[in-house]
Amino acid sequence: MVSLASCGGDAPGSDVPATPAIRVGAGLAADQTLRRAIDSMPRSLDPTLLTDSPAQKVLDDLFEGLTAIGLDGSMVPGVAASWEVSADGKNWVFHLRPEARWSNGDPVTSADFIYAWRREVDPKTGAEYAQALAPIVGAMAIATGHAPVASLGVDAPDPLTVHIALNSPTPYLLFLLADSFMQPLHRATIERWGDDWTRPEHWVSNGPFVVKEVVIDDRISLVKNPLYWNAASVRPARVDYFPLDTLTQVGRFMAGDIQFASIFPNSQFRWLKSRLGEQVVTGPYLAISQMAVNMQGPPFGMSRDLRLALNLALDRTILADKVREGLQLPAFSLIPPLPGYRQQVPEWASWSDERRHAEARRLYAAAGYSPAHPLRIQVDYPTNEDNRDVYDAITAMWLTNLGAQVEPYNEEFRVLVQNLRLHKSALFQDSWVGDYPDPFTFLQLFQTGFDQNFGAYSDPAYDALLAAAAQESDPARRFQFFEQAERRLNEEGASIPVLYYASRHLVKPYVKGWQLNIQDRIVSRYMYLLEHEGR
Amino acid sequence: MLAIPTMLVIATLAFGLLHATPGGPFDTAKRMPPEIQRSIEAKYHLDEPLWRQYLRYLGDLAHGDLGPSFQYRNTSVNELIRSGLPVDAVIGSLALLAAMLVGGFVGTVAALRRSRFFDYGPMFLAVLGISIPVFVTGPLLILVFAVQLHWLPSGDWRGGEVRYLLLPVAALALPYIAYIARMTRGAAIEVFASPFILTARAKGLPARTLILRHALRPVLMPLVSFLGPAFASVLTGSIVIESVFGLPGIGKYFLTGAINRDYTLVVGITVLYGALIIAFNLLADLCYAWLDPRVRLQS
Repeated sequence: MVSLASCGGDAPGSDVPATPAIRVGAGLAADQTLRRAIDSMPRSLDPTLLTDSPAQKVLDDLFEGLTAIGLDGSMVPGVAASWEVSADGKNWVFHLRPEARWSNGDPVTSADFIYAWRREVDPKTGAEYAQALAPIVGAMAIATGHAPVASLGVDAPDPLTVHIALNSPTPYLLFLLADSFMQPLHRATIERWGDDWTRPEHWVSNGPFVVKEVVIDDRISLVKNPLYWNAASVRPARVDYFPLDTLTQVGRFMAGDIQFASIFPNSQFRWLKSRLGEQVVTGPYLAISQMAVNMQGPPFGMSRDLRLALNLALDRTILADKVREGLQLPAFSLIPPLPGYRQQVPEWASWSDERRHAEARRLYAAAGYSPAHPLRIQVDYPTNEDNRDVYDAITAMWLTNLGAQVEPYNEEFRVLVQNLRLHKSALFQDSWVGDYPDPFTFLQLFQTGFDQNFGAYSDPAYDALLAAAAQESDPARRFQFFEQAERRLNEEGASIPVLYYASRHLVKPYVKGWQLNIQDRIVSRYMYLLEHEGR
Repeated sequence: MLAIPTMLVIATLAFGLLHATPGGPFDTAKRMPPEIQRSIEAKYHLDEPLWRQYLRYLGDLAHGDLGPSFQYRNTSVNELIRSGLPVDAVIGSLALLAAMLVGGFVGTVAALRRSRFFDYGPMFLAVLGISIPVFVTGPLLILVFAVQLHWLPSGDWRGGEVRYLLLPVAALALPYIAYIARMTRGAAIEVFASPFILTARAKGLPARTLILRHALRPVLMPLVSFLGPAFASVLTGSIVIESVFGLPGIGKYFLTGAINRDYTLVVGITVLYGALIIAFNLLADLCYAWLDPRVRLQS
């Protein structure tokens, strides 16, 4: 597939005959087995130990938290039928539905949630995402080993009630509660089987499906959970997940062996679109591709002019339209499009190219650089086919528009992460996927002292804005603080936003019951297959 | 005899090289609190000094325990190998068997009939077979037989059902068919020209007895020394075949294990590979002794 696609670059599809059309009927297919692909094999099916996105996709079908994911990606009641929040936004009470069941018949109780959350923050468990519970009172103290596990700010006054105490108003709590590490666990199973509890023969979960079979690096097979409280609404009888790399996914999809691919190579977008038409599905994704700088030393730490110069000299529309073929959107500021939030697009984004380049050159000169004395530096990014063409284009733009000599340098991901921790890199890729649809997940990146603030960006005025937002319980005013904070980042040239990522899937035309959403969490329970001819 | 020290060197080198690479198995972009990092490291003994980890590893190895996988939590390396090795073993053995039969036949015919068609034709195809890499032939086979004709599945293991084996075995066998054909032809030409064969021919022996009884063994000898390491290599899987066809073998662990810094997994399969090579070379030596009376007589 690779060789043919890249050979036929100029005339897409001319050397490969089109796949035959698929005819879709109106009724349901007899076999309601969904076959989906994920990017790689989940490291573990234990929700507490979650680290990778493929695992989350599978776990979304297996467990249900207080809240659940709706058809359009929004939060709907899950195990909790209703909830209230106090006036100061810091105390939430959830009322569990009495009919919720585990797959072995036991009722789901509030104790199951308390157990799971304590397990998550307990250092002994070794959960890599424990800090996601930071909004909960006492969570970080426990995770850093300074407090006993029982001091977590959650309690269960009765089997059907859960109370959560938060450090500050956290509007995105409902999204957090649908994440895998916030889902309930069946204590007796884990205590009995220990590390082996995730094996199919011991499996107990409370979601629409249960695990039937796991063959490492081959498939994960799920079947419908008859004891799920809402089993009547679950449409597929069986879901098979195949961990496959992106190229193999394309091949399998075109052969009809999978119906829903989780990804396809960016570089094949045009080609696939011409061959498969509407089966190629893309949409906005809550993630940004950007570069960050080391603020602790030269050349960027001292020179706002240089940071802004590099920012203005990038021709983002060319990157989006020509390099990414329209698949991704240009990013002029940190926060991707979010409902209810006003993106703070800088003024220069709408200038003409000439005006923008002229201003960039002026800033570059003001920073002390010239053709005789150009900027010579390296930009570090993780090794990835999709990254290389973007960075080649970016560095070429800086050379053409400014005369800056920036050398693209790719490193294996883990090596890069280690170098970033040691602050060895002056200019580097700092892409970020939002954990929940709220601006804070992005703005937090530039907060002083935040773990992933790899450039050591520190601005007291900015931190003050975030602190004010944290205490604000009125959503509109909270967003206003965030907007001011984002403007500040733009003015200071804190980072160099490049593109907003897109979610990309291949979907057979007879697969229904799904919708794209910005977090790309498309659960299987609503999906169904129509009868069809052809593959 | 020399096997144990060799294995020790292999294990040590693999261990050392992997630990020398920057980055660790639990380095992610989203960092975790130090207490949790410490807890994970303690669980996997990554907090111990390197020499202690090494000795601990060797001790476990002596018991046949290859340790836990760092990448796949709550799964042991033994288990990963147990589930993955049969996949590579089946596909690899079938591929080599097919390669021996087809390649051997083609090579012998090419040697016997030195005519344009039966000799140059297959040999040209053989050069093609060796030159075209598997990551081209594999997807090509999928494109033709799965995507366009829908005759065969595009990948997957399915417990080794025959339909699912055909394409991976064919893709893997092609370069070996080519090698073996060329090797057989070369060996056969030499053997057929040798004095003892000419004598047998002069005596009037029928062609079948000539080939099967007298010529076959000397022709097989270079094949055997090629097949020894080839079997070992094929048993530990081909990253490309597994990746293209989506097969759950252990070949890809060489790559993903290194990238994920899954120390135990990589050292485990390296040690396995070393053991297989040693074992198959020994087997090849034994076959050699059986095939060639001169070797037996010498010792």
